[in-house]
Amino acid sequence: MDDKPHKAHRAAQSGNKADKKGKGKEKQHGFNEKAFAPKSGRRAERQGRRAAEKDQTRLHVPLVDRTPDEQPPPVIVAIVGPPGVGKSTLIKSLVRRYTKQSLNEIRGPVTVVSGKKRRLTFIECNNDLNSMIDVGKVADLVLLMIDGSFGFEMETFEFLNVLQAHGFPKVIGVLTHLDLIKKAATLKDTKKALKKRFWTEIYQGAKLFYFSGVLNGRYPDTEIMNLSRFIGVMKFRPLVFRNQHPYLLADRLEDLTPREEIRSSKGKCDRTVTVYGYLRGTNLRMGTKVHIPGVGDLDMKDVQVLGDPCPPPDADSEKRRKLSEKKKLLVHAPMSDVGGVVYDKDAVWVNVPGNFTRGNTDVPQGEGEKMVMDLQDVDETLEDVVARSDIKLLGSSSKNLVVDPSSSRLPAADIDDEEAESDDGDDDSEASYVSDIEDKTDEEDDLDQGKHIFGVHGGDTGRSTLRLGHRTTDKLSTMLEHQNGGIEYADSDSDLEDGDIRIGPRDDVMGDDDLAADDAPHWKTDLGGKAARAFDSSGRKRRKDWTKLIYSSALPPAQLLKKLTEDQPEGDPDEDEDEFFRMAKGQADEERMDMSKDPALMEDSKEWQDDDMLDSIRHLFITGEAEPQDGERIEQGEDGSSREGSEEGESEAGDADADQSAGIRLTADARAQALASKKEALKRKFDEQYDDPDAAKQDFYDEKKEEIAKQQTLNRAEFVGVDADTRALVEGHSPGSYVRIELTSVPCEMVEHFDPRRPLIVGGLLPAEQQFGFVQVRIKRHRWYTRTLKTNDPLIFSLGWRRFQTVPIYSLDDHSIRMRMLKYTPEHMHCYATFYGPIALPNTGFCAFNSVGADTAAFRVSATGVVLDIDRSVKIVKKLKLTGAPYKIFKNTAFVKDMFNSALEVAKFEGANIKTVSGIRGQIKKALPKPDGAFRATFEDKVLMSDLIFLRAWYSIQPRRFYNPVTSLLLTNDTRWSGMRLTGQVRREQGLSAPQSINSTYKAVDRPARRFNPLRVPRKLQSALPYASKPKLMKPQNRLTYMQKRAVVLEPEEKKALAVIQQIRAIRKDQVSKRREKQEERKEVRRKKQEKDEGRLAEKRKEERKEHMRLAGIKSKREVEKEEGGSRKRQKT
Amino acid sequence: MSHSRDVLHFSGHESLRHRLVLSILSGKPLKIDKIRPDDKNPGLRDFEISLLRLLEKVTNGTVFEISLTGTAILVRPGVIFGGAITHDCPLSRSVGYFLEPLIMIAPFSKKPFNLTLKGITTDDKDLSASCLQLPLVHTVLLTPLCTQADLIRTVTLPHLELFGISDGLELRIKKRGSMPQGGGEVQFLCPVVKQLKILNFVDPGKIKRIRGIAHAVRVSPQFSNRMIEAARSVLNRYIPDIYLYSDVYKGEDSGKSPGYALTLLAESTTSVLHSAEAISEAGVAPEDIALRASRALLTEIRRGGCVDRKHQCLVLLYMVLGSEDVGRVLMSEPTERTIQFLRDIKDVFGTSFKITPVEDSTDLLYVCYGMGFINVNRSLA
Repeated sequence: MDDKPHKAHRAAQSGNKADKKGKGKEKQHGFNEKAFAPKSGRRAERQGRRAAEKDQTRLHVPLVDRTPDEQPPPVIVAIVGPPGVGKSTLIKSLVRRYTKQSLNEIRGPVTVVSGKKRRLTFIECNNDLNSMIDVGKVADLVLLMIDGSFGFEMETFEFLNVLQAHGFPKVIGVLTHLDLIKKAATLKDTKKALKKRFWTEIYQGAKLFYFSGVLNGRYPDTEIMNLSRFIGVMKFRPLVFRNQHPYLLADRLEDLTPREEIRSSKGKCDRTVTVYGYLRGTNLRMGTKVHIPGVGDLDMKDVQVLGDPCPPPDADSEKRRKLSEKKKLLVHAPMSDVGGVVYDKDAVWVNVPGNFTRGNTDVPQGEGEKMVMDLQDVDETLEDVVARSDIKLLGSSSKNLVVDPSSSRLPAADIDDEEAESDDGDDDSEASYVSDIEDKTDEEDDLDQGKHIFGVHGGDTGRSTLRLGHRTTDKLSTMLEHQNGGIEYADSDSDLEDGDIRIGPRDDVMGDDDLAADDAPHWKTDLGGKAARAFDSSGRKRRKDWTKLIYSSALPPAQLLKKLTEDQPEGDPDEDEDEFFRMAKGQADEERMDMSKDPALMEDSKEWQDDDMLDSIRHLFITGEAEPQDGERIEQGEDGSSREGSEEGESEAGDADADQSAGIRLTADARAQALASKKEALKRKFDEQYDDPDAAKQDFYDEKKEEIAKQQTLNRAEFVGVDADTRALVEGHSPGSYVRIELTSVPCEMVEHFDPRRPLIVGGLLPAEQQFGFVQVRIKRHRWYTRTLKTNDPLIFSLGWRRFQTVPIYSLDDHSIRMRMLKYTPEHMHCYATFYGPIALPNTGFCAFNSVGADTAAFRVSATGVVLDIDRSVKIVKKLKLTGAPYKIFKNTAFVKDMFNSALEVAKFEGANIKTVSGIRGQIKKALPKPDGAFRATFEDKVLMSDLIFLRAWYSIQPRRFYNPVTSLLLTNDTRWSGMRLTGQVRREQGLSAPQSINSTYKAVDRPARRFNPLRVPRKLQSALPYASKPKLMKPQNRLTYMQKRAVVLEPEEKKALAVIQQIRAIRKDQVSKRREKQEERKEVRRKKQEKDEGRLAEKRKEERKEHMRLAGIKSKREVEKEEGGSRKRQKT
Repeated sequence: MSHSRDVLHFSGHESLRHRLVLSILSGKPLKIDKIRPDDKNPGLRDFEISLLRLLEKVTNGTVFEISLTGTAILVRPGVIFGGAITHDCPLSRSVGYFLEPLIMIAPFSKKPFNLTLKGITTDDKDLSASCLQLPLVHTVLLTPLCTQADLIRTVTLPHLELFGISDGLELRIKKRGSMPQGGGEVQFLCPVVKQLKILNFVDPGKIKRIRGIAHAVRVSPQFSNRMIEAARSVLNRYIPDIYLYSDVYKGEDSGKSPGYALTLLAESTTSVLHSAEAISEAGVAPEDIALRASRALLTEIRRGGCVDRKHQCLVLLYMVLGSEDVGRVLMSEPTERTIQFLRDIKDVFGTSFKITPVEDSTDLLYVCYGMGFINVNRSLA
């Protein structure tokens, strides 16, 4: 057509339209508050209600987040999906995005720093159901990968159901392989369909990423960047189960078992293993048991906090907004090959690309290379070597140098003192003293003071009380046993103090120090100075360290207290002597009662007769004045408080003036404090009077949240200045720290078949979870699981950390009276299941499987549910019907036989309710002597001889005590774990058929017709009855009636008419039959024609089909040729 | 399924009750040996056996194995069950002996406790049943009938309220029974909790009132009035808010033996409770008993702290079992029992306390990190 451009539109400059437009534009400015204003009062009310409702949906039960704010553990990002979907590619892309390093192979968790406050641990989850279950229990964020060109796979749905049972972590979907879909429309439809399905599985609006294709073995950078931004800002809600348990995803495993032991046992001995990883969940304390899913319950021998291998940027180094490039390079993946370093299970391999490779024996090796190789081969630590060596520190030493591993690891740990005693009981003190080379600085002080007055005792009779110093002036210290080393220091002052307080050297003591002068190693040189400095810095008065007294002393409490209360500043040796030769006197004659009242209370009541004494506690009452300083003085002086006394006992002359000055400072401080508190009180009073009381009012939710926040700040504040060891002792190891856990008696298969691709989780167990019992759960068979679940068939549960097989019994609550056993789980309904196994907290979710192997294409999650109850016994019953037959009937009484076998059995059931089939109720009365097991019973009506009488009873059943953990980590990757099989499975494998009881076979039921006697009502009674109740005639009449008896003769006209009608009928009949014949003929012709046509048509169709198949055959043949002969083709060209 | 190394191993008859409690709470088997091995009458005493029987009643599946000589026992703890239980206590110890360990485990049972104990309600060794409840200070005002077994009711039970156990917590003294014949009866009701609240109790406050119950059974009612007068002579100088109730049980409810006692209770502005008690003794005038009680109360008050010495163990145990937060309490120095108890707690639960002295005071600050003990026995069905 013509290419002339259209005339441009000119907006109206005047008139109606121009006016409208101008106004419209004006209206568009800013927020229009009228737009959402309600039009009516009712509407306003409805809107208000809706707003309030929406506000309520925001609320959740306030949960405490146990993850620390500073240094939280890395977020676990699990990448899950079917094989070949691009999981490794995604991890590589993400690691590359965060660290600019490319990994060749992903093995085990990879930890990277992703931001200033966040670290991520990526873990790839393989398609094995066991791995999926374990990953689902620890992952904080799941990247669910879906092959866009294929769609969802069964494993994906299974994984989602597992997640649901164990607390749903965040899930982000990732669609890959979208480049394989060529057509844009198909692509759009696929995306839409998959998104819809994904949303129904997760929630409406769940985030789904689309990855277009792979470039250079990675996903496109922009797409990865978008994903990483999403991960970076993601918030996590604490999950209840993980908030109750400490756990760790091991990123490294090492075998510490001595090589010799392994060799001698041919690798079958139990191993000692260390696992490494970031602690998550709650605090991990020593003494808790751990469970490794797939292995079993293990004991922790030791937990050590290590330096963070992938530390988050600290505030000082990271002042700027973005992460610096240097920090971006951090990646911790010990089992992958980052930077050519691989941590194997028992060694660290350095991969030097070049001509040298380990194990290559053909190449001649130089001396240096050999040395390095030898170093790699070292399979024991220096510690072990030293332990075996015969080195003596001094020539005169009678004992070799020993290393006490426990002391080196955990200086404050509670060490078995028996061991310690035996250690030093037999040898000379000096040698044993010197041997303890590993001990820490406290001992160094002691050494300098030279007070090694070690127990000069026989060793076996007493404990520490015998091991008392003789020369000491410090009474208090003598009772303390030093726990750290192999020896007790009879009097080391530092035992009594906080770790940082040291005591200055004393001259007299220095004098008799025989070691200090000549053989002192260099670290001892300036000890005095160091100690003095430490003392100066501490400055304040020394106090008793109750924590240490209670936890690290082996003194029985009575003696401990006695020592503390008795104050003798001069620490007279007689007392010690007494202690030394303590009579083995009689706990026998004067028994110490276990009583809560303090008998001492009665004793010291004499002092209260004094008026001054009575006045001295006046300040403790509200009527008393505001705590006078001298009042306290009096109190302390008078009651001779143990603190004062013991301090005096310890303190030397030098301390005295320090004490005084401290006292003065103290009073000044106290005054200032009192003033401050007074001011505070006044301010509070003022605020109360003048502040709006409603302003501070909060709703329940905010109140709870504030409460939680307050407690958390308190938790943090309490341990601010405390050293790490005490912290570990009191609160355990906090989440976020990188720890090394030493596990003992680990099955050797775990180490032998260790595969970093399977997640290794160390989950802490609560004390209750280490017990076994009957667990009652609410269970529902999964809708997608096709088979029904049967009572007493084994089922694999994933509950808590554990995966185990057990034998449940299903039941339903029967009218809240009894738990009635079910043979099968009901359809689309919850029921109860009871099984024997490890106890889990009520309200813990679980999922169950019939098999965890990959041998079925069907959906494997067979049931899900939640734990309800824990007990040591269960009461589940099933119905038992006993039948009997009456053999003699009186009025309402009958003798019944065949129900029981003996009179004893009858006696057990006396008074039980029985019933006939027809519904007559009765009761068992008493056993009869004659036929065994017969009894007399009464009924509410007369029973018939033909009645069946039954007794409904309940028979209680117990679940089998069967527990079989799924030890998947003890198997190699490709062997299948096999637990208890179903009966049917066993039969099938053994070629047996199910046994059939002869009583269970169906037989033709023979029911002879019953003849009932006629009901006979006496004539007299009949006449008295009303008509309605009178018995009606029952038998048919057999006599002829009046009408039947009469013969009928027709009139002649009647006869004629009848004949005519008959003739007409005959003619009509003939006509109809003729017509029908004709029609039949016509139909026959038509049928023939139709048959002919159909034959032709079939012929035609056959031809067509033939042609089609021929073409298809050619096509498929070509395709096969194409696949096979691709290379051939290439060869041709 | 328990391995032998999981068995808690202790020796000696002391702290038997605490160890049983810890074993039942932790579910770990317990072995105690060397129970009075050198005694003329070796092995467990009748009241200890009775305690074991009582524990067997309140739990399900607990197995006690006592050695032939009675000097060693092995306990395999079961599930704390609760429910309605009646137990006859032997006359060698008062009901307080049995009630103290049961109070420790009662909140963690499957069903609310409804325990009836018959025997001696007041003796000089254990908390008299009346010592255990504070709101009772008020109820006592209204119903002077319910008093002795009084320490448990008036002091111990208020301590439970600090940990969030309050609704339905009650101790009823139905009959009083003095030594040596007994004949008393108390009923203990305790609700079930999911988890204990953590305690933060560091302000002792100042004493604002003193309450007391002077009870007398099968003696002249004048005795209790004499005790009240004598106690007032000591206590009146401190505070005007003193109410001492005279509580005389008559007839059926007064048990089988004569006796009288005075229980005193001082409450501070922050509801710290100090308590003391003295019971009748042959040849001692009631006035002397009253003096003894009031002086003991003064001693308690002077010791300070937020929890008195008789309840240290209970409070510390509940702090350990509390939610996973820092719990703090101010108390006086630990008693012998407490020290042993702290050590046992460390063996059983692996938790230890940080105990630090407080400036300008003889009191100690006990800090622990709750282990987040959750009542597994509580059923959802």
